[in-house]
Amino acid sequence: MGHDNTILRVTDVHKYFRRGSERVDVLSGLNLEVGEGEFFGLMGPSGSGKTTLLNLIAGLDVPSEGEVWVGSNCISRMSESQLATWRTRNIGFVFQFYHLLPVLSAFENVELPLLLLPLSAGQRRQQVETALDLVGLKDRMWHRPGQLSGGQQQRVGIARAIVTDPLLIVADEPTGDLDAKSAVEILDLLEELRSGLEKTIIMVTHDPRAARRCDRVRHLDKGQVVDGSALQGEHVEEHVG
Amino acid sequence: MTQPGLLVLLAANFTLPQLAPWSLAPLAMGVVFALLLAVLGRVPLRYNVRNLQVRWTTTGLTAVAFVIVLGLLTMMLAFVNGMYKLTEQSGQPGNVLVLSEGSTDESFSNLGFSDVGDIELQPGVSRNEENRPLCSRETYVVVNQPVQVREPGRPNGRFTQVRGVDDPVISGDVHGLELLPGGRWVGQAGVQKLADEQEAIEAVVGEGIARELGRDRLPEARAKAKNPERIDVGETFPLGGRTWVVVGVIRSSGSTFDSEIWAKRDIVGKMFGKQGYSTLVLRTESPAAAQTLKDFLNKDYEKASVQAYVETEYFASLSETNKTFLYAIVVVTAIMSLGGIFGVMNTMFAAVSQRSRDIAVLRILGYSRLHVLASFLLESLVLAILGGTLGCLIGGLMIHGRQAASIVSSGQGGGGKFVVLEMLVSGDIVAVCLAIALVMGILGGLIPSILAMLIRPLESLR
Amino acid sequence: MKLLGLMLKNIRRNWIASILASAATIMLVLMVTLVWSVLSFLDQVTAEKSKDLKAIITERWQIPSQMPYSYAATLTEGAARTDDDIRPIDSMTWSFYGGTTDIKNRTLDNTLFAFAMEPQKLRTMMDDLDSLPPDQAAELDAAIAKMDENRLGTIVGLDRLEALGKRVGDRIKLFGINYRGIDLELEIVGTFPRGRYDKSAVIHRDYLNAAVDAWPREHNGEEHPLAQKSLNLVWIKVPDSDAFQKVADQISSSPYYSSPAVKCETASSGIGSFLDAYRDLIWGMRYLLAPACLATVAVVMSIAIGIGVRKRQMELAVMKVLGFRPRQILIMVLGESLLLGTAAGLISSWATWYLVNNLLGGIPFPIAFFPSFMIDDGALWWGPAVGGGAALLGSVWPAWSACRVKVSEVFSKVT
Repeated sequence: MGHDNTILRVTDVHKYFRRGSERVDVLSGLNLEVGEGEFFGLMGPSGSGKTTLLNLIAGLDVPSEGEVWVGSNCISRMSESQLATWRTRNIGFVFQFYHLLPVLSAFENVELPLLLLPLSAGQRRQQVETALDLVGLKDRMWHRPGQLSGGQQQRVGIARAIVTDPLLIVADEPTGDLDAKSAVEILDLLEELRSGLEKTIIMVTHDPRAARRCDRVRHLDKGQVVDGSALQGEHVEEHVG
Repeated sequence: MTQPGLLVLLAANFTLPQLAPWSLAPLAMGVVFALLLAVLGRVPLRYNVRNLQVRWTTTGLTAVAFVIVLGLLTMMLAFVNGMYKLTEQSGQPGNVLVLSEGSTDESFSNLGFSDVGDIELQPGVSRNEENRPLCSRETYVVVNQPVQVREPGRPNGRFTQVRGVDDPVISGDVHGLELLPGGRWVGQAGVQKLADEQEAIEAVVGEGIARELGRDRLPEARAKAKNPERIDVGETFPLGGRTWVVVGVIRSSGSTFDSEIWAKRDIVGKMFGKQGYSTLVLRTESPAAAQTLKDFLNKDYEKASVQAYVETEYFASLSETNKTFLYAIVVVTAIMSLGGIFGVMNTMFAAVSQRSRDIAVLRILGYSRLHVLASFLLESLVLAILGGTLGCLIGGLMIHGRQAASIVSSGQGGGGKFVVLEMLVSGDIVAVCLAIALVMGILGGLIPSILAMLIRPLESLR
Repeated sequence: MKLLGLMLKNIRRNWIASILASAATIMLVLMVTLVWSVLSFLDQVTAEKSKDLKAIITERWQIPSQMPYSYAATLTEGAARTDDDIRPIDSMTWSFYGGTTDIKNRTLDNTLFAFAMEPQKLRTMMDDLDSLPPDQAAELDAAIAKMDENRLGTIVGLDRLEALGKRVGDRIKLFGINYRGIDLELEIVGTFPRGRYDKSAVIHRDYLNAAVDAWPREHNGEEHPLAQKSLNLVWIKVPDSDAFQKVADQISSSPYYSSPAVKCETASSGIGSFLDAYRDLIWGMRYLLAPACLATVAVVMSIAIGIGVRKRQMELAVMKVLGFRPRQILIMVLGESLLLGTAAGLISSWATWYLVNNLLGGIPFPIAFFPSFMIDDGALWWGPAVGGGAALLGSVWPAWSACRVKVSEVFSKVT
């Protein structure tokens, strides 16, 4: 599917690991494009390569073969340290288990990525407050993760992901560890980000309710994009029940 | 000066000027290194500090290890510093000390009567207002003094240094010594009748030995004494089978004279079987004049074979024991620091493995390996500085200004002076201790930090 | 037994912490071994013996003690005058002679300080030399025999010999330092076994005495300045403390020793007076240094065991569920630490004992007149004992917290 304003292009990507003399293929010849401002969902059974793909997109890993383009950068050719710098500016990562640093306050957690950018303390403060305001946690910004509920922690996680105003927000099962009510709130927030701030969001999920919020969902199986509503239906039943 | 535990006093006594550049260099390097880490590593320091707080038992225990090692080092160095101060501060640069040839120590020296009379008339020797040569004629003996009050675990005798002088006033002048108020120099007769008609030898005692003698007093004498710390004017003590009475106490000058008992030479010589003089100390105009006089006596003076030293050189040569102790301290410190380093390493390894997730998140957010390395190394340094400072402080408070007995010697064929010294914590010592703490922190933190740096973010989040 | 297996497994599993804690323990027990060896040696030499004790007779008031040689004959007999008086079992006399091979450029290296004594007494009166292993004894006896034949002979300690750059068989000429003008031509006939006498030398007393006696013949009948001061020390050996007391009384009541007066004290008491100058140093070693090392061992062990316990919280909770009693968990954790500490202590002290005594020839820490110290044989048992003890102490708190792990809390914490 072609977009005029493609922001992510994955072409013929292979990813394999070696286990002894055996080659384990995780992704085999995968192609994918995501347009700017799209809320894109990735589904698939365990071991289908969702997370591996997400890691390649986020620049946490490099493909064995093929290319990954984000905007005008071919990130699959970057060195590790180039990737690190690139990530800070271009990727916002939301984790299933939030992964906030427990000893830092919400404010400090959100501030972390900004510390790598050439910003003054005042600028940082302003950006952090804006981000926390956006996720509705400005009044809790001096709380530590331990003092926040799961949903609130995930909102801090999202604030941390958007604080650098990245090109892509990458979310790995953002509702996977939350109760239904909190999950709805987080999905509302993500939709808001897309519609209000026109962020591009790529989300891996098992949850059909989450998938329904996406503009477009693709399914992964055995390292390849497979399409078909039958498969989607299967999953819906699997997970709702 | 003798009340430890008071920060104010410590501050008042602290010899800050005594900060040699060489001792600051390692500390400065350590501090620069820490600052570099702080600048390079973008992870905020409060992240480390709070983690240290959270794991407070381990943090505390690690700091305790630092406190012990560096507290001990501070104390040991203060002791040796006291010894060096003693050998450095004893003697006047303008004085020439004359011994018989071949003697390295006063106690082995024997100068004839006639030689002494001639030497003091040599050109270059200063004179006082009465035109008498400023020459201190002395007989120095080391006397075995039985201890009156036996304490368990202590020997029943000690060696006391007695200096017999012909003219105590001139000798005091030559050596630049002053008496504490209420005292006087030994009189011409050198003896006096006590209230019970007993004849006692008049003595002027140094402040250090006065304390020792004060400790030796019989309980009843101690109860009556006006000064519980030390023996004072009017009190008596036994030595060499005679009773001695204190007529003056020499103000502490931080020299070996603080540990001496002075009396009239003719009495001392006779009592202890040393008829001749052991030492002659001549005052000259200036250090340069002293050097000239010394050279003259050693090379060109032919009436008697003597060995002359500039007095300060002589005392400086008594630092062999100091060196031995310093060397021992280096060994002790090296061994104990290694123990401490292994302790920190353990703590830091645990910190890294407990926080592998944090590290992974940081890496994903864009922090580089170097940032992670710096952060953990800095944490280890924070721990080290914390423990090191506390150790230095505790060690210093416990020991600064306290007195201790020791010996200074030239290390040649016995001899040496039994001294009471003041243990002094100097700026140098603090700098050295903190530098060692930093090095321990770096060495202990390095391997775990490298491990942290090598953590693969994706794997540790799985 | 099963617990022991578990302990070993845990030690192995937590190997980084185990190795680091052991390494720290090894270093610190090494320090304690060194310190206690010095202290135990000093305690030994200052401990009053009740049997076969040695006494020293010196000038009463002054050091250095310088007595006329005429005192020697009667002092070695304990000043016994009548048949009822007690006589020592054995005795020796010491005169100190210092000389240099280069009178113009005297350095510590070319200077030799020697005891002038009867060679035979080396094997009966000198500490350590009276109880040598047979091979060393035979070697020393051979050297003594040579000295007996040739009074120019000298036995020199290995360190001194090396400093002088000489070998056994070489001849040296010493220029007198304290005995000014009395120069001795000596022939090196042997060395001392490694140890206490590495820096010492012995010359024949007859040689020195003859040289002093010959002095007036070449100096217009004038005596050498030290002629009446050439006896520095007399050693006697007495069977017990009663005998010592009697001999001491005989000497102090004798009118013969008046100028200078003399005193007789047990060797331990005499050494004690010298050590008084070091009392604060010794105090510091005994009550600060050694305890500080042990405290550090306890702290380091506490860190290591504490880390292990925290890592294993889950497992400990499972053990509790499986029916392990708190006491058993406590014993298991304490046992781990004890095992680790004892092993490290053992390695440390045994290695120190072997290396210092056999390869290094003692700890070179010259205080008073002891040039170096050997590692006490006791270290072989107190090394492991203090290592284990300190480790045990350090693990009390972690072990306590381990046995109080609350099953419900642990399980609820894990998500």
